[in-house]
Amino acid sequence: MPMPSVNTPSTGPAGTTAGDDTEFRTLLDRLSDKATADYYNPFTTFDWPPTIPADGLWMSPELLSVHGTGLMDELSPAQLQALGRWESVNFYSLNVHGIRELLIEVTRRIHTTGFELPSEFFHHFIGEENDHMWFFATFCLKYADKIYPDRTVKLPEAPRAQDVENFLVFARILIFEQIVDHYNVHLAADQRLHPTVRHINRLHHQDESRHIAFGCRLVQLLWERLLDRGLNEADRLDLRDYLGRYLTTSMESFYSPAVYRDAGLTDGFALRRRLLAHPARQAAHAKVLHKTTDFLHRIGVFDARH
Amino acid sequence: MDDAIKPVVDWLRERNPTVEEIPEDLDLIENRLIDSLAFMEFILLLEDVIGRELHLDQIDVDQFRTLRSLTDHFLKR
Ligand SMILES: [Fe+2]
Ligand SMILES: [Fe+2]
Repeated sequence: MPMPSVNTPSTGPAGTTAGDDTEFRTLLDRLSDKATADYYNPFTTFDWPPTIPADGLWMSPELLSVHGTGLMDELSPAQLQALGRWESVNFYSLNVHGIRELLIEVTRRIHTTGFELPSEFFHHFIGEENDHMWFFATFCLKYADKIYPDRTVKLPEAPRAQDVENFLVFARILIFEQIVDHYNVHLAADQRLHPTVRHINRLHHQDESRHIAFGCRLVQLLWERLLDRGLNEADRLDLRDYLGRYLTTSMESFYSPAVYRDAGLTDGFALRRRLLAHPARQAAHAKVLHKTTDFLHRIGVFDARH
Repeated sequence: MDDAIKPVVDWLRERNPTVEEIPEDLDLIENRLIDSLAFMEFILLLEDVIGRELHLDQIDVDQFRTLRSLTDHFLKR
């Protein structure tokens, strides 16, 4: 095996094998050990009660898409409960679809050139995400009789360079996991919520802390490799712009006209636009995203303009 | 261009402030007036205009390429 050196530029297309990888290896070993120690059987772990009462809280009011706006006062308690119920189903549905996407991308890369080091951890990751998708989908189908359909469409677009694509894939996964984690932490701690709701959020957070620790390191490594090989200014701006818009679009997916309709609120698209323009909602997004934006600033993906 | 398409044109202009005029046959996807990220909101807007939900797993992307094909496929009664 060649001696790793800090300044060796990557040769492999995915580029996670060059440079000094001692620290990365140590982290991967630690996270794989932790995944083994924390391992649980999702199919036997949960009590699934026959129903979750519709007149209780399914979502913390602070996490609702209307929180901080006049609608919190205008809507009746029953309307807020209905909204919370359907927004929680939307949240788990977004998880189901987000997990499908990340499973596809990680599976595409496991045991391929450039991903030799993280492949062992990818096995934990893929197994755990399959479990997560199962319990989120089960919750939706059992208690709401539906999963909201995926609203994303991949348009035909000019492909980016493979190493840029790798960076973006793992950056998107990390962003998705950090946003979800913000909700998980809050929902797991909220004693007003049904125990089953708290349980799935608590377990998800436990697994995701490992995925997020891994993701931060991997995304930073992939970014540094891009800089080492000389990312040009236009591509750099393209990445910044894309990830900035990815953050925005991700938060916007919490404002669903279908949810508003199910909760009995009319004119969902106009409501969505009104809420998105509300300063209290923009402040709420900044709060959800602060760990992610801090991270992207720290490693230099975002600059002062973001 | 008839009125039904106006909200779509307004939305495209709002998103693409540097674009002056949008010819009916301009390929919106190839010219990047809409990309995959923007498409999510675009679909919601279109659903709002036509008053029904679209099944995204069955769509043909080509129907969304130009203002003309959007009108032909979604906005003609
Ligand atoms: Fe997960
Ligand atoms: Fe995860």
